[in-house]
Amino acid sequence: MSLMKYLALDKVANFFNIIRLNGGIRGSLYKLYRQDEIKDGVLIGEDKFGNKYYENPRYFYGRNRWVEYADQYYLNYDASQVPAEWYGWLHYKTDLPPHQDPSRPKYKWMAEFTENLSGTTGQYTPYSTTRPKIEPWVPKKAGQ
Amino acid sequence: MLRQPLTRALALSSPTRVAPVVPAARRFAEQVSVQPEKVEVFIDDKPVYVLPGTTVLQAAAQVGVEIPRFCYHERLAVAGNCRMCLVEVEKSPKPVAACAMPVMKGMRVKTNSDLTRKAREGVMEFLLVNHPLDCPICDQGGECDLQDQSMAFGSDRSRFTDIHFSGKRAVEDKDVGPLIKTIMTRCIHCTRCIRFASEVAGVDDFGTTGRGTDMQVGTYVEKMFLSELSGNIIDLCPVGALTSKPYSFAARPWETRRIDSVDVLDPLGSNIVVATRTNEVLRILPRTNEEINEEWLSDKSRFACDGLKRQRLVTPMLKDSRGNLTPVEWEDAIVAAARALRDCPPDKILAVAGDLADAEALIALKDFVNRLGSENTYTEQYFPTGGSGTDLRSSYLLNTKIANVEDADFVLLIGTNVRFEAPLLNARIRKAFIHNETDVALIGPKVDLTYEYTYVGDSASLVKDLAAGTSSNEVLKRLESAKRPVVILGADQLKTEEGAALLAYTQELALRLQDNLQDKEWKVLNVLQRTASQVAALDIGYKQGVGEALAAGPRVVYLLGADGGVVTREALPKDTVVIYQGHHGDAGASIADVVLPGAAYTEKRATYVNAEGRAQQTLPAVTPPGLARDDWKIIRALSEVSGAGLPYDNLDEIRERLSQVSPALVAYGDVQANNYFAQARALAKSLQKPVSGKLDVQLKQLEDYFMTDAISRASPTMAKCVQAVLKQKTSPY
Amino acid sequence: MAGALVRVIQRTKTNLGIVAPLANGINNVPVRYQQTQAPPTKSKFGPLADSDRVFTNLYGRHDWRLKGALARGDWYMTKEILLKGTDWIVNELKTSGLRGRGGAGFPTGMKWSFMNKPSDGRPKYLVVNADEGEPGTCKDREIMRHDPHKLVEGCLIAGRAMGAQAAYIYIRGEFYNEASNLQVAIAEAYQAGLIGKNACGSGYDFDVYVHRGAGAYICGEETALIESIEGKQGKPRLKPPFPADVGLFGCPTTVNNVETIAVAPTICRRGGKWFASFGRPRNSGTKLFNISGHVNTPCTVEEEMSIPLKELIERHAGGVCGGWDNLLAIIPGGSSTPLIPKDVCETVLMDFDGLVAAQTSLGTAAIIVMDKSTDIVKAIARLIMFYKHESCGQCTPCREGVSWMNKIMYRFVDGNASPKEIDMLWEISKQIEGHTICALGDGAAWPVQGLIRHFRPELERRMQAWACVHGPSKAERLY
Repeated sequence: MSLMKYLALDKVANFFNIIRLNGGIRGSLYKLYRQDEIKDGVLIGEDKFGNKYYENPRYFYGRNRWVEYADQYYLNYDASQVPAEWYGWLHYKTDLPPHQDPSRPKYKWMAEFTENLSGTTGQYTPYSTTRPKIEPWVPKKAGQ
Repeated sequence: MLRQPLTRALALSSPTRVAPVVPAARRFAEQVSVQPEKVEVFIDDKPVYVLPGTTVLQAAAQVGVEIPRFCYHERLAVAGNCRMCLVEVEKSPKPVAACAMPVMKGMRVKTNSDLTRKAREGVMEFLLVNHPLDCPICDQGGECDLQDQSMAFGSDRSRFTDIHFSGKRAVEDKDVGPLIKTIMTRCIHCTRCIRFASEVAGVDDFGTTGRGTDMQVGTYVEKMFLSELSGNIIDLCPVGALTSKPYSFAARPWETRRIDSVDVLDPLGSNIVVATRTNEVLRILPRTNEEINEEWLSDKSRFACDGLKRQRLVTPMLKDSRGNLTPVEWEDAIVAAARALRDCPPDKILAVAGDLADAEALIALKDFVNRLGSENTYTEQYFPTGGSGTDLRSSYLLNTKIANVEDADFVLLIGTNVRFEAPLLNARIRKAFIHNETDVALIGPKVDLTYEYTYVGDSASLVKDLAAGTSSNEVLKRLESAKRPVVILGADQLKTEEGAALLAYTQELALRLQDNLQDKEWKVLNVLQRTASQVAALDIGYKQGVGEALAAGPRVVYLLGADGGVVTREALPKDTVVIYQGHHGDAGASIADVVLPGAAYTEKRATYVNAEGRAQQTLPAVTPPGLARDDWKIIRALSEVSGAGLPYDNLDEIRERLSQVSPALVAYGDVQANNYFAQARALAKSLQKPVSGKLDVQLKQLEDYFMTDAISRASPTMAKCVQAVLKQKTSPY
Repeated sequence: MAGALVRVIQRTKTNLGIVAPLANGINNVPVRYQQTQAPPTKSKFGPLADSDRVFTNLYGRHDWRLKGALARGDWYMTKEILLKGTDWIVNELKTSGLRGRGGAGFPTGMKWSFMNKPSDGRPKYLVVNADEGEPGTCKDREIMRHDPHKLVEGCLIAGRAMGAQAAYIYIRGEFYNEASNLQVAIAEAYQAGLIGKNACGSGYDFDVYVHRGAGAYICGEETALIESIEGKQGKPRLKPPFPADVGLFGCPTTVNNVETIAVAPTICRRGGKWFASFGRPRNSGTKLFNISGHVNTPCTVEEEMSIPLKELIERHAGGVCGGWDNLLAIIPGGSSTPLIPKDVCETVLMDFDGLVAAQTSLGTAAIIVMDKSTDIVKAIARLIMFYKHESCGQCTPCREGVSWMNKIMYRFVDGNASPKEIDMLWEISKQIEGHTICALGDGAAWPVQGLIRHFRPELERRMQAWACVHGPSKAERLY
């Protein structure tokens, strides 16, 4: 056990390393504001939406892979913005990230990934199958 | 002339069968018959004094003992075939049918003895032997006499051992039209529907065929039940054999809220119960009112309620730049209407009230228009202006009153088809015709009134001759010898050019007869209005007939539910602004520039005055749809924006205003006695011009009856009725 | 050949009869006059002497037309009877003790006197019930085809007694020949001036109409019969009001059986006391008995009331097939009366009171004899099926109850039922009896009650036998 560890100075070193990796004090404060935590890790890949995927085995299993959502989402990020191909790696279903996985199937019919739009204007609303209780009068258009 | 099955006629006139129910409404009947001495009978040892001829069942009802029954109905002849009302009578070896047994002095009836209970249980068991156990899918479930009585009087278990599974009796369903659904397997053969059809409705279409277990109730050949009162057999049926087709599988009685209200689709103002669920009118049932509708209801009033859900105005609308009516907010519509009214010279404003307008809206509109400086408030329906005009209430009301028509001994109908203009008044006349030997004569087109009448002719001059007393027609003699004559003039006649003269002659005739009567209380003159709003409008002071005012070229026309097609775009100058306030998109709304959605009669608390001059109020059963509002509130808001604010802010205040105009308008349930007949007659003298035309009525056939106003025109059920009637008439079998 | 034989036998019988009534007549003279005051000492009833027969052409051996009828004494002194007036005729009928021959046995004199209330302007009618549909009964048809003038004359006298304007004879539709004969007789009477305007020269106007039915048993019920004449469905009316108050076409009406009407002229001619001398008190007179079923010579015969059943069968019907000991049961008064087993038959007297004491009824006196070869349960089941078919369907207990009884009875025939159902059937029949508008319900319930009362062991035996072969009945499970 090194002296650094014994004196817990490695924690301090980690701290500074994390701040450095996250873009200095300003960058770190911004990330802290957006994500409530700052971590150091290896950038494994980035999806087409700009989300970045990191891994750091130093953290315990289950918390050592994470995603940093693209800046465009700002605070409006949610888990459904992780596309399907990264979902498996992020949830430990596989250790191979999509760009390193040659056997991953790719078909024409596979739909473009969309996030969950519930609660937004783009959400899906089913049409009503019940008749309205009152049928309003529809006036005739002029000239008809 | 025999008007009913002979046995019934004689049985009713014989002392054992005097109809003992004397409703309070019929004052006159009591004066005629000398009250015989009452006899004492004992119901479960409780003494009760009843008139001789009362049945045991009625005597029991007087002490609050209800005897179960299926076939017995107060307003129909006694059939006595269900045997449910069997009771033990002391000193009688067999149980007797309480519905048919007249009381005898000192009779001791035991309605709860072992013998009685055993008899009821036995009958109940027999009825259930062949009654399907389909209560869960039966529309009558929850309001079924059989269900209720089997709970109360039936056995707790079944002894019916059908080990060969031969099944219960199955009967083919009959098709009797678009209103009544029949599931004849459920029929218990009480024959109430048959008796109603032949006695009250006057249509001998129903009967039984076959005998024993093969007996079936039905129309002998498959045909529609061509009557304007057909819906009542649904209420009469004690089981689910006859149910309402439009209401089928819609709701259970315990799910619905029931709100007492008043019908406005005919001028009688029948009392109704509106059954609603989740803010939706599901059905309309009659409510007993001896003075108006007894317990019947005409088909239009009962089944047109689905018209309340279609063609509704749910949002204010304005004409946009392309001339299309587009939905807008209330604010925009009110402002647009107020601007149009404010910018218009007062004498160019015209307000027209339609068929279904309530008294509150009528008075608000009149006050509003008056405040704007105009006197131009008109009704769609015509009424002659000369003579006393509408100043004397007696000249536009049904003065005899509906219930008293039963006591009349001669009825003269002038230019009216009572059967379709006021079906329940016609039912009363028919009742008088059958039970009191009342004779009826008709001047006007020949129509089927469901009873026999003396046809006088259709020439208007006949009325003149009768009035002058120069007619050689036997009807004159009979009118003059009648003790309680009734003359009814149809409002259809008033809109013709000779209307004024006809009214004057009718007044002359009626009042001449009335002067000679011994009974000074009896009123002869009647004018039968066509719509529910007319009497209130005339009471409030609306002018009659919009024709002249239209010719003057109004700039702003305010239509309060005026859908009668009297005001048309063609009759108006091009730039006239038409404001329509009402609840249905009908004739009025389609010519409007501004549409203000109002409430229909089931959606507001409002006053209506029926043809007798009886004020009654509707109660809100559901909320007005969408953005629609109470009519008087719309006018109140409009007046505020127009700068001519009306001085009432709530219903009490507006009713206070109504009572200032006429106390009769808020005397709910009462009819004020009318006077000044002589003055009206004197004033009418000047109008007695020669007449030469022929009398005609609008509603001649059953198919004309169903669709007469904005609500019934929007009703799919009524449309089906019209089609079914036409189909029945073109291909009877 | 057989016919000839029968005729020979009959002839000898009548020949013998000539002596008997003479003897009888002499012996009975004092008795006859004491009848009204003293209790009867008469203890032997029947056989009836030929001279005392009312229906002298019952077998059609003589001319049935007017000429023959006149020869037999019909229409004799009719005018004088009519002129004696209403009260005399009604009194004579009351003295005679004649009770209605249609089944209910209501005293005829009293019934006619109901009609003599002060008139309220409505006409009165006499209706003659010739709708003889009761299985086993065939007395009225004999009268109508062989002695129609007795009926026509009876109509006139009865009509006079109640002040009726016309008589309607409602004849069963199946009786085509009888209706023809009756119509001919009426036509003859009209031509001879016996009825019609100034009938028999008495100054009394009286018409007789024949109305043919359309084949419904229920139209034999008086109010249903009235409805049927009026052209409606033959469905009984509620009572009250009784027909004497509101009857045919809404007018006071009396409905009488053919036999009741047909004996009236003879009673008037020979006196009520003569008629009252037959039978026990309250059951007086002569009566037509129809004997059918398992007897050697089925017949319709006029006999004195209160004749012992056994004597009646042995004397007139040639005895039960296979001897008296072969008798199983007898239905004594037409299909609607409860049956009586052999031991009761031994002693019972054929009159109203005697049969009521035996828990049955005289009915129409149509005796149906059943010997030991009869499947008694099936016989009763068949009767119930008849009633089920003929129920008018108007009122609940009869409409639903009789068809239910029918279902159960046919299971009883096989024995496919539970013994507990016997009590249930009894109870159902009690629920029908007395709960209906007319008496058809009672008539359907009584045969079943008679069967259960006297043949319960037979029913139980069948159920046991069935269970031995097929195992317990499914009906058993329902208990």
